[in-house]
Amino acid sequence: MRKTKYIGSGGLAFDEEKDMERLSKYASKGWILEKFAFLGFKLRKGPSESVDYSVAYESDPDEDYFAYFEAAGWKHVCSTGNYIHIFSAPKNTTPIYTDKASIVDKYEKEKRKMADIAFPTLIFMAILFILDSLSNLSWVSDVVGTISLGLACLTLIVLVFTGLPYFGYQYKIYKLRK
Amino acid sequence: MPRNDALENGELTDTSYYILLSLVEPKHGYLIMNTVEQMTDKRIQIGPASMYTTIKKLSAASLIKLYGEGEKKKKTYVITEKGRKMLESEIERKREMVRHGEEILLQLKEMGS
Repeated sequence: MRKTKYIGSGGLAFDEEKDMERLSKYASKGWILEKFAFLGFKLRKGPSESVDYSVAYESDPDEDYFAYFEAAGWKHVCSTGNYIHIFSAPKNTTPIYTDKASIVDKYEKEKRKMADIAFPTLIFMAILFILDSLSNLSWVSDVVGTISLGLACLTLIVLVFTGLPYFGYQYKIYKLRK
Repeated sequence: MPRNDALENGELTDTSYYILLSLVEPKHGYLIMNTVEQMTDKRIQIGPASMYTTIKKLSAASLIKLYGEGEKKKKTYVITEKGRKMLESEIERKREMVRHGEEILLQLKEMGS
């Protein structure tokens, strides 16, 4: 029997709550979250657990950070990039975020991070497309056009993975402030 | 620095208010959580993520400061002079709000009788 399982993530920017609910359901069937995987999570077979999962964002947290969670009954499960952290706790433990202000803060920070990448990428992509269309003119080499079109496609990928989360977080903040 | 609309407006969120209250004496974050729970009979509970970010914010706004590092590098914090003043004006603000409420309720009762 397989000991590990991979499940995809809906993207934390859009489906954080649903993802955590799914992880919780898997845990109740004995599939325990082990770590982040590419666009998803890796689970490991073990005894079933009745737990809730929560996501917190904090870049470079100090020891106190994890001490707070532990003291509150939240076990650190895994982190990625020393920045996104998942915790688990028995059901009905006090949530990790208890006030609106800090939840909005959490998404604001995320949104800004995404914007910092998405906006320069957008401008870069625009320049590449302009270069590409310029290459139709005789004095710009065709090679420039081909290269810029190729690069533009790459930047488009970056844009999808930062621009969409940007709007995802924006929507969450909008809902919270309403 | 984290943005905090409420702090800029000179208003404290419930979380910030109770953290400031419990830091009139130096405390480690973990102890703050317990103190607030006891003080409010568990009506106000502060989750660890909210605790960590709020402490960072209050620190950045110089309302609290690092008091020292205890055993196992555990940081303790204490309220600053600025924080104490903020707390006093917040208590005054809340007192005024309660007074308004009580006045209105009293009027209602008098009208009823």
